[in-house]
Amino acid sequence: MRGPTTIDPVPGRTDEMIINMGPQHPATHGVLKVVVGLDGERITRAVPHIGFLHRNHEKIEEARTYSQIISYADRMDYVSGLQNELPFILAVEDLLGVEVPKRAQYLRVIFFELFRIASHLVWLGTGMLDLGAITPFLYTFRDREMILDLTEKTAGARMLPNYYTFGGVRRDVHPDFFKDVAEFLDFFETRLPDYYALVLDSPVFQARAVGVGVLSKERAIARGASGPVIRASGVPYDVRKAEPYDAYDEFEFEIPTRPEGDVYARFWVRFKEMEESVKIIRQALEKVPKVGPYKGKVPPRVKPKGARYRAVEIARGHLGTYVVADGSEYPVRIKHRSPSFANLQLIPDLFVGARFADAIAILSSLDPVFGEVDR
Amino acid sequence: MSRMPLPTERLVQPKLVGYDPTHPRPWLERIAYALFFSALWVMVVLAYGVVPTVFRHYGWLESPWGFAAYAVIEAVLAFLLAAVVALILIVVLRKYLGKVQERVGPMHYGPAGVFQTVFDALKLLGKEDFAPRRVDWLIFRLAPAIVFVSAFMLMVAIPVAPGWLMADLDVGLLYIVAVSTLGAYGVVLGGLSQGNKWGLLGAFRAGAQLVSYEVPLAIALLSVGVYSGSLRFVDIVEHQYGLWHVVPLFISFVVYLVASIAELKATPFDLPEAESEIVAGYNTEYSGMSFAFFFLAEFVELFLLPGFMVLLFFGGWHGPLFGLDPQSFAAGMLQSLYFLLKVAVWVWIYLWIRATLPRFRDDQLMDLAWKGLLPLSLVGLLVAALLRIFLEVL
Repeated sequence: MRGPTTIDPVPGRTDEMIINMGPQHPATHGVLKVVVGLDGERITRAVPHIGFLHRNHEKIEEARTYSQIISYADRMDYVSGLQNELPFILAVEDLLGVEVPKRAQYLRVIFFELFRIASHLVWLGTGMLDLGAITPFLYTFRDREMILDLTEKTAGARMLPNYYTFGGVRRDVHPDFFKDVAEFLDFFETRLPDYYALVLDSPVFQARAVGVGVLSKERAIARGASGPVIRASGVPYDVRKAEPYDAYDEFEFEIPTRPEGDVYARFWVRFKEMEESVKIIRQALEKVPKVGPYKGKVPPRVKPKGARYRAVEIARGHLGTYVVADGSEYPVRIKHRSPSFANLQLIPDLFVGARFADAIAILSSLDPVFGEVDR
Repeated sequence: MSRMPLPTERLVQPKLVGYDPTHPRPWLERIAYALFFSALWVMVVLAYGVVPTVFRHYGWLESPWGFAAYAVIEAVLAFLLAAVVALILIVVLRKYLGKVQERVGPMHYGPAGVFQTVFDALKLLGKEDFAPRRVDWLIFRLAPAIVFVSAFMLMVAIPVAPGWLMADLDVGLLYIVAVSTLGAYGVVLGGLSQGNKWGLLGAFRAGAQLVSYEVPLAIALLSVGVYSGSLRFVDIVEHQYGLWHVVPLFISFVVYLVASIAELKATPFDLPEAESEIVAGYNTEYSGMSFAFFFLAEFVELFLLPGFMVLLFFGGWHGPLFGLDPQSFAAGMLQSLYFLLKVAVWVWIYLWIRATLPRFRDDQLMDLAWKGLLPLSLVGLLVAALLRIFLEVL
């Protein structure tokens, strides 16, 4: 069957080459396939194909009890696993009317920001790999390993820890947790200058990134982009400021924005976000109550009733979860609004007219994760 | 069992092969690589020193049969040397990238992983050399041979010490320009013949890049020829007693450095085989030994291009001789060692660049070649010519 997603050769035109980029292409971050028409190195047409990783995520969740769903939510954006649990948990907490203790809120924030750093580190490494630099990949994965070790020490798992739960977190942190986090932050701040030198300040990188893949403010809003992508186009939208959840209204941090909207701006915004995350974690380490409950009072059987939409700002943008509950143990419907999916709609806009090597840079600056695009 | 067994509780513990990460042995590593370097040196002494000296001493080169025997022996030795150079450089590249990237690199085969590439080569020999149905068979098979032969023919032109060379070419510079351009044909034909769109793109990119950078490279070589008054490598190196060419011809040196990295198809100019963009470029459909020939040729060039740079700009085999007669065999061994050490330093710098930089875009590559390097190389040529006139007037 030939749907609207294929590209047909233009009759009589012989200088256009139609080529399948993906789904087994080294730079598509998983399983994206883009059918591109190439005129030499210039892209004339681009049609993205998604769905290679579709696994009926939302339908599976409808057949699970609420506490089982939390670990499924982890598997959406597996690079920033822990962050995906939060919107679902916030929505269910609202429906149940559960109070979250202060200490639990702070612990959530610390882990949330640690996973933002971890996710941005993976993006930085793979993004530079796409641009041909192999060394930053190993550096960033080494730093990310320290975050994963911290998570493992507290939550027992590394990438998909299933750590948040209704009313707080699943268990208390390990005794040296706050010291370990402070040590990691000190170490990470010594590594940041290296990343600036290897990436943002590198003249070769600037030649590749400045003025490439420019996304206008209007276009970004029209396509529903969010996260670093929209902030790099000059829209200071961040769920942490717009609708603060957990304890985010008690922290001082900035939303880095840049008006240019090119690949360089998107890289810059993510760099600054890592620095802001460090700032937030430092404040949280000071303010967090050292003793106290890590979990609020939750009924033994979670049976919410009603409908609720909550959103958080994960590393890739606005992740929302809509929960429809009828008072039984199983939800009626769960809908995830995922940021990468919306950001990926920009591919035809940004690819057409770019050079083929630019397309790779643009894709890595959008930073899609296909577990979350396809669900 | 109430929990998953820990790795230490396994009934059968995996056997560590060659390397125990809990007991790193850096001294062993150093000794292994020193031995590797000595092996290379011995090969060089044999191929460039012993065989030509013996043939010349007994006057065998005068008779046609003697000359034929000389040609065959040197060809075999040059082939072995090329293979040894490539095997060493591949494992050195991988170890060096490991060091830069905070990991250990190859560790298992041989002490500190020195035999890794030997096993890799054996693996590639044992693999099926597959050709898809749509390829243009003759050209597909010919292309790796062209690439490898062009790299291996360049081995002939290098002098490593006074009188130590396989063939004393009067037009050495012209020869290396001509022969290294042959390699571009192999790459382009290999990409075009395989009936694969990524290969086609790789061939386009390789053709554009190699041809563009050949021009400033040739002009940089020419400026050395103009300055030293000869196209013969031995004369060029002799001309550098007192002052290495890198000082007066600094502009040409910079042009040569950049253009030679582009000729090597190494980062930041690795567009023809940019794996994150065009999968594997011109060698997408190659497997087994055909692929290995592309790979070996690339690493032979990684030895040869710094080698030519050392000959042209860094005084070749110059170094302290401690009172030895420069024409004696012992001095030859010492001087070839100096040459190899200088080449090793430059290879290290090339690898360093490869480990650090991201990749240029195709149009930036062309801009750099035609708008940056070409005018710069002409300026270098002008400087060389003016200096030459100045020296002659003096």
